[in-house]
Amino acid sequence: MVLDSKTPVGPITDKWDRRKFENKLVNPANRRKFQVIVVGTGLAGASAAASLGELGYPVKVFGIHDSPRRAHSIAAQGGINAAKNYRNDGDSVYRLFYDTIKGGDYRAREANVYRLAQASVSIIDQCVAQGVPFAREYGGLLDNRSFGGAQVSRTFYARGQTGQQLLLGAYQSMMRQVDAGTVTLFQRREMLDLVVVNNQARGIVCRNLVTGELESHEADAVLLCTGGYGTVFYLSTNAVNSNVTAAWRAHKRGAFFANPCFTQIHPTCIPVSGDHQSKLTLMSESLRNDGRVWVPKTQGDKRPPAQIPDSERDYYLERRYPAFGNLVPRDVASRAAKAVCDEGRGAGDSGLSVYLDFADAIERHGADTIKARYGNLFDMYARITDENPYQVPMRIYPAVHYTMGGLWVDYNLQSTVPGLFVLGEANFSDHGANRLGASALMQGLADGYFVAPYTVANYLGGATLPPVAASHDAFGAARAEAQGRIDKVLRVKGKRTVREFHRAIGAICWDHVGMARTEAGLSGAIAQIRGLREEFWQDVTVPGEANNLNPGLDYAGRVADYMEFAEVLALDALERRESCGGHFREEFQTPDGEALRKDDEYSYVAAWEFKGVGAPPALHKEPLVFEEVHPTQRSYK
Amino acid sequence: MTPPVLSSSIGSKFLIALTGLFLFLFLVSHLAGNLLFILGPDAFNHYSHALISNPLILVAEGGLVAIFLLHVFKTVTIVVANRGARPERYAARKWAKSKNDRSRKTLSSTTMILTGTITLLFVVTHLATFKFGPYYETAEGIRDLYRLQTAVFSDPGYVAFYLVCMAVVGFHLWHGISSAAQSFGLDSPRWTPRILWVGRLLTAVITAGFALLPIFTFVAGRN
Amino acid sequence: MAMTVKLKVWRQAGPGQPGKLVDYVADAVHADMSFLEMLDVVNESLIKRGEDPIAFDSDCREGICGSCGLVIDGIPHGPDKGATTCQVHMRRFKSGETITVEPFRAKAFPILKDLVVDRSAFDRIIAAGGYVSMNVGGAPDANSLPIPKDVADQAMDSAQCIGCGACVAACKNAAAHLFTSAKITHLGLLPQGEAERDRRVVRMVDQMDGEGFGSCSNEGECEAVCPKEISISNIARMNRDFLKAIVS
Repeated sequence: MVLDSKTPVGPITDKWDRRKFENKLVNPANRRKFQVIVVGTGLAGASAAASLGELGYPVKVFGIHDSPRRAHSIAAQGGINAAKNYRNDGDSVYRLFYDTIKGGDYRAREANVYRLAQASVSIIDQCVAQGVPFAREYGGLLDNRSFGGAQVSRTFYARGQTGQQLLLGAYQSMMRQVDAGTVTLFQRREMLDLVVVNNQARGIVCRNLVTGELESHEADAVLLCTGGYGTVFYLSTNAVNSNVTAAWRAHKRGAFFANPCFTQIHPTCIPVSGDHQSKLTLMSESLRNDGRVWVPKTQGDKRPPAQIPDSERDYYLERRYPAFGNLVPRDVASRAAKAVCDEGRGAGDSGLSVYLDFADAIERHGADTIKARYGNLFDMYARITDENPYQVPMRIYPAVHYTMGGLWVDYNLQSTVPGLFVLGEANFSDHGANRLGASALMQGLADGYFVAPYTVANYLGGATLPPVAASHDAFGAARAEAQGRIDKVLRVKGKRTVREFHRAIGAICWDHVGMARTEAGLSGAIAQIRGLREEFWQDVTVPGEANNLNPGLDYAGRVADYMEFAEVLALDALERRESCGGHFREEFQTPDGEALRKDDEYSYVAAWEFKGVGAPPALHKEPLVFEEVHPTQRSYK
Repeated sequence: MTPPVLSSSIGSKFLIALTGLFLFLFLVSHLAGNLLFILGPDAFNHYSHALISNPLILVAEGGLVAIFLLHVFKTVTIVVANRGARPERYAARKWAKSKNDRSRKTLSSTTMILTGTITLLFVVTHLATFKFGPYYETAEGIRDLYRLQTAVFSDPGYVAFYLVCMAVVGFHLWHGISSAAQSFGLDSPRWTPRILWVGRLLTAVITAGFALLPIFTFVAGRN
Repeated sequence: MAMTVKLKVWRQAGPGQPGKLVDYVADAVHADMSFLEMLDVVNESLIKRGEDPIAFDSDCREGICGSCGLVIDGIPHGPDKGATTCQVHMRRFKSGETITVEPFRAKAFPILKDLVVDRSAFDRIIAAGGYVSMNVGGAPDANSLPIPKDVADQAMDSAQCIGCGACVAACKNAAAHLFTSAKITHLGLLPQGEAERDRRVVRMVDQMDGEGFGSCSNEGECEAVCPKEISISNIARMNRDFLKAIVS
């Protein structure tokens, strides 16, 4: 199968306008005849549901939480980028596009990224009009800050809760449509299968997480907005219920999975404190503006940090990257931390952390200034660790934060299954091999507010969609399959809990498909994953029954999917024999230990086609063509 | 449909606050009049005669009773509804004030229905004792309430009872005044602390004033 | 160093069914564990013993999603101020201590199982007007309408609400006034929300009352348990807006 990205022809600045003009429209009176399903209620899902509802399409929205407002977009702290150039500092749509392509290490599709940069401008207008209380200056206009090493100030923010405020804005718009009768909410529902009829996505099967009942919902288009797969690593900054299940089940029905090996590790997280740990907490990387990162020079130096004199400290980022110092990009900072810990120079009891020291900054600016800048982060750190960062250096360690890979979509955000659209983190499209700070929120909202309403309409207006009822055989078959899986996992009644299996698969992925990957490690990981999957189905124990509220059963289904997904994650990392962005292969590095991209061989999107559990998936390549931005090697020296 | 002002949770609380405000103003005027007792029998009896002989007093009394009953009725309805809003109680219960002093919860605020009920009973006995009590007449032929009050408060037990009842009323006002301000929607970062403070000051003044009278009467009667 | 705590946990099989407090012992508790991680560990051992684990809601585990909410020793979200249940750590407790764990209790929050309650009433309150009625595509430039910084900051103070429902759980009347007023204040303060200010407050209060929440006794226990410490000044403002709306 040839992957057609359906990118419009013409100059990059005109592509999206051209596509919008070419798109088929649906007459307002006819819109109510099309049923749309949106799965997931984060930024992408809520914004898509709201805008499709406003257009007059009947929309059913599904979410696993008790309320749509709980989706994990809510936890994003930093901000949202937009090429408004309110600061007169030389920003433009083109510059945001350029920065995003470069930051993604030249593994994203140019046309998508350009459209994202264009939409960014309207997103801010939209959100302000909704009542999102962005930070403002005394003059009453919007404040901006520079974020993640960007040289322009284009990040809009609402204290440290930008994701929350943007999600509440989208949620409220969606609830307005609930009130208007166009959107119907189905909360505490988990999508267990995509129903495909005549090679078109025609509905979903979901489980009511309160009653356990399997429900069928038919539709003319299905939008998956179910986020990323970071929790395959067990510990991540993702919410504990985030999962790959909806995307994976769609993958098993024909949607290709693209670039799963592109995962982002965030350098400034609070380190693991013990085996009990259920999730990791991220602290804004703005901390690196004033904090200095160091470890002891000698291995196994377990003295308290205050007793280690300056001459025996290794400020390794400042040493290795004199130009950028502590402000190198996320992936570089993360790998450097791992390297010093691997050398046995890590801080803390576990040896898996590095110091982030504010002593110099406090001496230079005073504790009050530091408190004004980072007070809330210091409080959060103190609450979790019981250590006072004003007196003792913080300890940080990298953690999985975001996944750039996802279901493959064309320029219209449509997957390889016609009628199945994938939005937000769940798709692979805009961030390449590495996502820039403050760009995730931008993408979720761009997809939902400004892309899907046009492209879904184009599909509905052009496709032949014979009526399909929930009584159709395809629904019955999907329900039976889902029921079979539930019954099977309950029947095992082994000895190991789902959490133990989740920890085990997470450890394999973290050790071998984490910050640094090798040929041998990845091959070994694939074998281990297969072995663990076998064990799972022989030895897992799942409590309770299928016909009531049973979080343990929901969890089992998600971990079972990770047992399958992890294999393609490792395989993709194995097959990409280069280093780029969040994907670092130890065999492919410059003499200085930097990522070595191989543009002549790997300038493509790897899209995997499911061929059965245990069977090797088929690789399809979508070549990446760079007409605007010519790939160069990143350097932060 | 009843107008939302009467049936909604906010409208109900507004009515309770409004009637409470009227009752509070009544207390102020009642206290001001009663303090004339200190000036002696003539001043007190002339004042009370002027009051009860005014034909408008019936209207005023009727209004006062209506306001009082409305206050009681709305409160009782809302308490019943509030109980219904949590059918199953907590097994363990602790004031959140213990973790965060932003709470304004006090013993006063938690006992409003109790102090209100005691006040209601007190009002009944109070009316029976004074308004519908023994009719003494002065030489001028007007009602001698000075004598009645002196007689009533010559009993130290009754003085004690009265003082307890005043304390209960004060307890009710301690939360009631600032709570009414909140129900009216009077609030601002600058004014709220002052409203709370003024509410408590007014409570102290009113309660002290009403407590002063039986003590004064008792002491004056023994000399 | 490991601690041991005794738990009394509310167990209830389903909606409308009788429930009771059941005793558990959690040993090998680490001071750095969060309260929910301690429950995770208890659940792991229950699963291994073939018993039904304790059902509770949680998701982000960093205090922003609003999923978690337990009444710990009689206080919603436990003993730490300005924190959600997931942010409470076991170092707050003494080894050997007995801790009572109950769900948020309110008629409008029916218990689904154990410690899991249905808070969809909050969504219906928002659906009744907790938004600015504007369609995608119609927005003017974001800087076309300056908003004074203090007004924007005040709106943000209210907008921070995470919709966890602790205010309802702490209120002796199970009132939802703090939740509802926070949204009314957030949108009412901003010029974008001004056009439908009257309609919004009347509709949202009507929905709130219809859901079976109680009324406000102005005690402020809600503010004391609120993870974001949202002020009951919001309630005063809602009262004001409501009275103004029905008079005008």
